[in-house]
Amino acid sequence: MSEGTHIPREELALYAAGALTEDESAEIKVHLQRCGLCREELAHATEDVALLMMSVEEQPLPSGAKQRLMSRVAAAADRQAIGGTELIEMPKRRKMAASFWTAWGAAAALLVVSIGLEVKIRDLSARVAQERQAAEAQDELNARARKVLSLLSSENAQRVELTAAKVHPVPSARATYLASQGALVLMANNLPQLSKDKTYELWIIPADGKGPIPAGLLRPDAGGQASVVLPEIPIGVGAKAFGITIEKAGGSDTPTLPILLSGAAPSAGD
Amino acid sequence: MHVHFGISLASIRYTWQAASFRSMADGNPNTAGFSASVPTEEALELEGVRRRDPSAMERIFDRYGRMAYSVAFRVLKDGPQAEDIIQDVFFQLWEKPSLFVSGRSSLGAWLAVVVRNRAIDIVRKRKACEPVEDVVLAAETNVTSEVERRAVVQRIRRILEGLPREQRQSIELAFFDGLTHAEIAAQTGDPLGTVKTRIRTALTSIRKAFQR
Repeated sequence: MSEGTHIPREELALYAAGALTEDESAEIKVHLQRCGLCREELAHATEDVALLMMSVEEQPLPSGAKQRLMSRVAAAADRQAIGGTELIEMPKRRKMAASFWTAWGAAAALLVVSIGLEVKIRDLSARVAQERQAAEAQDELNARARKVLSLLSSENAQRVELTAAKVHPVPSARATYLASQGALVLMANNLPQLSKDKTYELWIIPADGKGPIPAGLLRPDAGGQASVVLPEIPIGVGAKAFGITIEKAGGSDTPTLPILLSGAAPSAGD
Repeated sequence: MHVHFGISLASIRYTWQAASFRSMADGNPNTAGFSASVPTEEALELEGVRRRDPSAMERIFDRYGRMAYSVAFRVLKDGPQAEDIIQDVFFQLWEKPSLFVSGRSSLGAWLAVVVRNRAIDIVRKRKACEPVEDVVLAAETNVTSEVERRAVVQRIRRILEGLPREQRQSIELAFFDGLTHAEIAAQTGDPLGTVKTRIRTALTSIRKAFQR
């Protein structure tokens, strides 16, 4: 980037941080309007700011914060729904001096209001019917979900893994975790062989926002199967997710990207 | 679409989350066969917001609410003010989801910057100096899943810990206290050019961590 015709990166970084004076910012804004290269560089600097922000220490949300947002969202959605039904616009009328016309006008207005109410009642009835249909559909979904759960938890069910013909099966893994006992078992399949200086490593992503916890190394056999059984991990750590990465042979303290396999822990799970 | 039988049975969400990993892992021979064409969970949720589905908004808040609050709190050091900001920003997203241009970075990264800028505006007692639609991010690190985000955060924290004390102080003053470079120079007694270089070097260090 030529410093003569474009904004120096230092300045763009400061601009992204909002750390320039108003005059300096105004000057840069003018340049950005006509310079795609500098806009692109600014997008990179802003991304860097985002990464810095995301690394701040996590704080617990204030109690009820989500409910407060969702109430506001629901109120806005209701306003929009009701606003959408108010289709009847009062016609503009010329001023009439005679009370005769005033009376007729009032009657006409009443009629319009009545029609408006009728439209609203029909609309509300339609919404009630829609809600009922949605509830019935939800019941069906729940029944189906119960059936799926019953199938998946059945000890008698046959479990077979199918893969596309003539291609290498892809890696997969299943973790079973009991936070209250610090007990974890992970079975992995189809892991590609690694060089001797590398290993697979399993990570617990804690639900409390702290850093990933190493939970054992995986060394696949010739068939690509590997397992971690009851590794040494802290007791009582709620898991938000699990991930498997490739690390140096002895394992690492923090995971190295990319993450080969991952899975979010069900929120209700232990 | 391939389904990770071992980890995707308990919830469909797993499958979408795995999809975002696949796109991230492209080019790695160990992930050959993964497809990047599946929409991410985040993209589906944004689509839900555009269709005015409150549950989609709820899921977005579940994912990013705490992070956004933490950013606002870090700048303001005041819980109620920090919550006011995130309530406004998330509600603004609900009212006008087109403010976030998907396909460029992740929604979480965008929210982090928008919330931070709002918080700095409050610290500096000034009107919002930049409309949120002007906040554009490069798509270098598509941190859409919790696991990716945690890994990235760990890496950045390590980088920050490794920076010299003066550089960390400049970052603190510029990004979290909202001081201008001139104010930082006045406070630290360092030349203006040094302050600028420190801030840029810190950002460059963070970026390099994702270009290894």
